[in-house]
Amino acid sequence: MIKIIRLSLILTIFCIISAFGLALVYIYTQPIIESNAKLALTKGEQEVLPLGQGKVFQVSPQGYGGPISMLVGVGSSGEVTGVKILSQRETPGLGANIVKILFLQQFIGKTVKDPLEPKQDIDAITGATISTKAVCWGVKDALQRATSEGQ
Amino acid sequence: MSIWRDFNQGIVRENPVLRLMIGLCPVLAVSNSAINALGMSVAVMFVLVCSNTVVALIRKIVPDQIRIPIFIIIISTFVTICDYLMQALYPVLYIQLGVFVPLIVVNCIILGRAEAFAYRNPVLNSALDGLGMSLGFALALVSIGVIRELLGAGGVFGFTLYSPAIAATIMVLPPGAFITISFLMAWLNKLEGKTQ
Repeated sequence: MIKIIRLSLILTIFCIISAFGLALVYIYTQPIIESNAKLALTKGEQEVLPLGQGKVFQVSPQGYGGPISMLVGVGSSGEVTGVKILSQRETPGLGANIVKILFLQQFIGKTVKDPLEPKQDIDAITGATISTKAVCWGVKDALQRATSEGQ
Repeated sequence: MSIWRDFNQGIVRENPVLRLMIGLCPVLAVSNSAINALGMSVAVMFVLVCSNTVVALIRKIVPDQIRIPIFIIIISTFVTICDYLMQALYPVLYIQLGVFVPLIVVNCIILGRAEAFAYRNPVLNSALDGLGMSLGFALALVSIGVIRELLGAGGVFGFTLYSPAIAATIMVLPPGAFITISFLMAWLNKLEGKTQ
């Protein structure tokens, strides 16, 4: 019995020291981590909405390798002002090419009336139809949310 | 002399990845580019050197029956510290490495060295063993990362050397990790065979 108490006491002491150390590191790093995240978000918002008029939507359509987290800027007259991919897990070399500016640029100026379909008004990425469609859905989703909010 | 041996045995002779074949999970997962491999190596080096040092420091006051839970507490503390620091100081790299930073906890190289070496040896030797082992880990991981990025993405450390369009994409996908690691092991075994 005494042995069990002794062992648990030693283990508890180690846990307390560990928790104390972690708390110190947490207090020091947490403000930096939070400001990093905020900075990344505002920087992204500025990129997709350069004029500052309109609204930024965060959408995450289902891609080939998981959800694609992206920002879509919609201007005050309902047109896409910019698209930015925040995180994605598409196939490297194929689907991961959705982050390329050349691909994302073709969405600029699209409105809710455009079909936003690969091979119609969007040039798909070779070998990555699903990833291309996912980005199209994401933009469509943002545009629809923008119109329903505008009414 | 023995201190030097403790340091360098992990680099080639007992290289954790290519000779002992432990800690393969992060090696396969994050070696798709040289910079990811380097980031992972630095994280593992920090955790391994710190945990080995602390385990060696407290080895005389730790009762034998509960040494494993105590090792795990020490290792997970350093992994969490590493996780916070990386998130604060290198957010881009942290996103790239993703879940594999917290998973350093279960990297068997670290618990293995605590149990097999640091628990039985003085502080200086243990710290050097940790440094040597993590250098061996880094050597293997970065070589695999460089080879895979060179063949699969047409560059090294993010610099493009030739068009990625003609690169063998399979090398940056999971099969490329197995192919690269098996060729490196075969090559090392051949070298070893010659010296014997």
